[in-house]
Amino acid sequence: MTASGAGGPDFGGLPFAALVGQEPMRMALLLCAVNPGLGGVLIRGERGTAKSTAVRALARLLPPIEAVAGCPYRCHPAEGPCCPDCGRLRAAGGTPPVARVAPRVVELPVGASLDRVVGSIDFEGAVRSGVRRYQPGVLAAAHRQVLYVDEVNLLDDSVVDVLLDAAVTGVNIVEREGVSVVHPAQFTLVGTMNPEEGELRPQLLDRFGLCVDVRGLRDLALRVAVIECAAGPGPAPAEAGALARADRRLAETIVSARALLPRIAISPQLMARACGLAAAEGVSGHRADLLLVKAARTWRALETATRGGVGGDPTSVTSHDLAQVAELVLVHRRRLPEGGAAATHPGTQAERSTARREPGDPTGAPAADPRAQDEVAGAGAPAGDQAEATAAGTGSQGVGAAAAGEGAGDTPEDLVPDPLFRVRRLQLPRERRTRRAPGRRTPVPSGNRRGRYVRAVTVEHPQDLALDATLRAAAPHQRSRRAAAAAEGASGRLLLRPQDLREKVRQRRIGHCIVFVVDASASMDAEQRMEATKGAVLALLQDAYVRRDRVALVVFSGRTARVVLRPTGSVDLAERQLAGLGVGGTTPLTHGLLTALHLVQTERRRDPGVLPLLVLITDGRGNISCFGDEPLVEAQRAALQIQREGIRSVVIDSTRNHRSLSSPGVAAPSPLFAGYTFNACADLAERLGARHYGLYDLSEESILGTVNQALRP
Amino acid sequence: MSARQPLYPFTALVGQDAMRLALILNAIDPKIGGVLIRGEKGTAKSTAVRALARLLPELEVVADCPYSCPPSGDGLCDACRRRLASGPLPVVRRRMRVVELPINASEDRVVGTIDLEAAIQSGARRFEPGVLAEANRQILYVDEVNLLDDHLVDVLLDAAAMGVNLVEREGISAWHPARFILVGTMNPEEGELRPQLLDRFGLCVDVAGIRDVAERVEIVSRREQFEADPAAFCDAYAEREAGEAERIERAIAHLGRVSVDRSVLELIAQLGIQLEVDGHRADLVARRAVQAVAALRGLPRAGVAEVVAVAPMVLAHRVRSGPGQRPRDVVATVHQLAGGD
Repeated sequence: MTASGAGGPDFGGLPFAALVGQEPMRMALLLCAVNPGLGGVLIRGERGTAKSTAVRALARLLPPIEAVAGCPYRCHPAEGPCCPDCGRLRAAGGTPPVARVAPRVVELPVGASLDRVVGSIDFEGAVRSGVRRYQPGVLAAAHRQVLYVDEVNLLDDSVVDVLLDAAVTGVNIVEREGVSVVHPAQFTLVGTMNPEEGELRPQLLDRFGLCVDVRGLRDLALRVAVIECAAGPGPAPAEAGALARADRRLAETIVSARALLPRIAISPQLMARACGLAAAEGVSGHRADLLLVKAARTWRALETATRGGVGGDPTSVTSHDLAQVAELVLVHRRRLPEGGAAATHPGTQAERSTARREPGDPTGAPAADPRAQDEVAGAGAPAGDQAEATAAGTGSQGVGAAAAGEGAGDTPEDLVPDPLFRVRRLQLPRERRTRRAPGRRTPVPSGNRRGRYVRAVTVEHPQDLALDATLRAAAPHQRSRRAAAAAEGASGRLLLRPQDLREKVRQRRIGHCIVFVVDASASMDAEQRMEATKGAVLALLQDAYVRRDRVALVVFSGRTARVVLRPTGSVDLAERQLAGLGVGGTTPLTHGLLTALHLVQTERRRDPGVLPLLVLITDGRGNISCFGDEPLVEAQRAALQIQREGIRSVVIDSTRNHRSLSSPGVAAPSPLFAGYTFNACADLAERLGARHYGLYDLSEESILGTVNQALRP
Repeated sequence: MSARQPLYPFTALVGQDAMRLALILNAIDPKIGGVLIRGEKGTAKSTAVRALARLLPELEVVADCPYSCPPSGDGLCDACRRRLASGPLPVVRRRMRVVELPINASEDRVVGTIDLEAAIQSGARRFEPGVLAEANRQILYVDEVNLLDDHLVDVLLDAAAMGVNLVEREGISAWHPARFILVGTMNPEEGELRPQLLDRFGLCVDVAGIRDVAERVEIVSRREQFEADPAAFCDAYAEREAGEAERIERAIAHLGRVSVDRSVLELIAQLGIQLEVDGHRADLVARRAVQAVAALRGLPRAGVAEVVAVAPMVLAHRVRSGPGQRPRDVVATVHQLAGGD
């Protein structure tokens, strides 16, 4: 049953041929199976769309590889990078014994710790024989295989760094715990993620050669087909047999496509068109051009292997092939012009219409179409931002890789923050210093043993013992210590000394929790206040994401306040909620404040270490009573309570220009509320113990600065 | 009988029909994927889950396997797989258990860790199984699941999705099967659950305190009787408990014979489209749940009535409410679609 190789977990699952719909995803996976040089594929999509199922099914299609028998890294017998042992053999001109190795999809669980990913000292061997030997990790296991990371966006930063490093260089360099090893680690990286759970770091995003966005099928017949196929093959064994046969045929196709690939040619004209396409889509760097050509050639090989090449030269790439793969290469690299998503589509559409003119395969062209529709449907402001961030990532990828190199050891907090995130649209050139200041993740004080164990350190008196690291530290000394202990007549147990002891360093994802309390009453409609507010909140959101802070959104209007967004780290989700925010009705300010307070209290119960910040954006004129008192008085009381709870806040006055207010003596009330002398926001801010700003004179930049200042203890 | 305090019988619960049905459906077909029970405090959430265990049929397990592997078929751990190749495995019959995951659990206890004793005694690198190992083929119960630490949610998700616990940490590289019925309870007032985890629960029921005075009185008096003399109370319900257990056992035996017509599948798919749920998990769960309800009712084929019975449980947590729009009414949509049938 298992093709995943001896000893590997058996995930069961459906045959690849049984998958329904999701053509682009299947196409991308097959392309990667044929050509590992494509740099893997990232599958993004909503939950429950057979992402993982498809990847696991792919394992059964991969052809066995030839490798040096007994080599832990499965080095190629003759060519490519190899491990030191095989290298020596090659240099000596020896011919190694060759074995066929079953292909595997090596899985990297999200909870993996760094020592297991890169490998570490083999303490068992060290204890027994006193030899420092390297125990290979997941990266070694993945050499020449498919490395699959489910929920790749949830991976710990330190692990992402080493993964990037290996993906870029093709080798894994280990310098830790007294072992020093360099071994080849060339793998086809396959990742799946749900964008709602948080974005992927741009450098990592760019490492994926191809990318597909999947959505649930909306067609009734297809949906029913999905249910039927997931229910398992029918009572007739013929059905299961047919699927298994289809899978075998696919596997054979992959083998012949691989053989065909070197013979596939691309005309200079098409190559020019590929480059032109990349340029038209505003992709920075040349990676996309290269990948377009590679992917088109691979697709041609696959097509020819499947159909034997109908019409024309079966070994030369057609413009139809190029059109088929373009979206896979470009979707995550596209840089959007300031205008938004719509502007980029002409390029792709032009390419698609070329595809239709081509007398190509009739089933292929419609396959690309549902995807196009999905694109349009899903292309709002969020998609635009995402693509832009990607493009920015491509541009400074060199910087990113360098940063990854620095951080590849085991010092996550020294990470250079991504210097490339979404700054363009906001035009906020940021200094590294400011980003680093509050810390991306607030380290948990010792004694609190919660959080993910990331690495171990040497301390005087460890509280939270890191047993694995301790053992690794103690292992090499066992021989000498045993010899010493034997003289005193002690037994052969493991002998630990205080200097061996290591303590766990744990990390928690949660840092700050920023709660936006936004007034959505009718008065916010004036002077595009809501637009300005949305702009400000978005700016803050994006900054919060980079810091891994969590953001919540409370909106009040009419007679109630609603928690529109529970604390989340997902910008995507937040943006979507924000985009649909309308205004109208009265101003139940007290409701808003109390809802926010309740939210913070809940968060605190969940995690006492959380640092909340309340950002109130309003004109301060509450006019709906919550408890039957004067609305203004109620709001003041609520504000006082929030301050008493020790919650820090910032008040942003949506009506006023703060600069003109700040000059004493000059009363410059906004024209709308001329004659309204009492400054409600200033009063509220005072009771909250908060600083108070005018919305209009705060550029987005200074709003960010303001919040960051407020976050600092 | 045992040193442990007797558990309140499942059949002595008053009301909360949806919750009880959801639990029983999972007992009939574990592949439904668990249940999330949302509700205020004191609505018998935990009592029901713990009580369910005694109604569950016995499992055949490999006698000395820490993962309770089945003696044959798939889903075996590596060791059992190897042993099976050289001969049949020792078998015992054991009741399904409710394994609790405390919310303050540490990650190493959940996924398993390096065996301290073996490491110190002999320097051997050995895997010590954790809660996920214990939960294989059992019920994994997480009380207050919404308060679980984010990184624990991640590993839980990972295991629930794969049916396998893959450990690559603390110098250990190991895997074992981890197919469990995930049962979570939460009080929504204390925070929401991440959508990704929400979707992993096959079913979801919202429970509220019962407002009917007569039923409330009944709850109190039964509880009083139970606390006064637990053993006698349990004895009084022994017959009903046995009857319920038998009903479940019959349904399990019957499950494979229940057919689901294409028209029912179309209704399910239509619901998913109409309510704009993400992905296909809702459809797949609905199909299984519908089949399980039909099995429980002793029907040869599942029909529209069964869809109506389970649709709220399947869809309650999967329907999005966009900004400014009210959550779509699952029940109304079901009736509207089923009525047009």
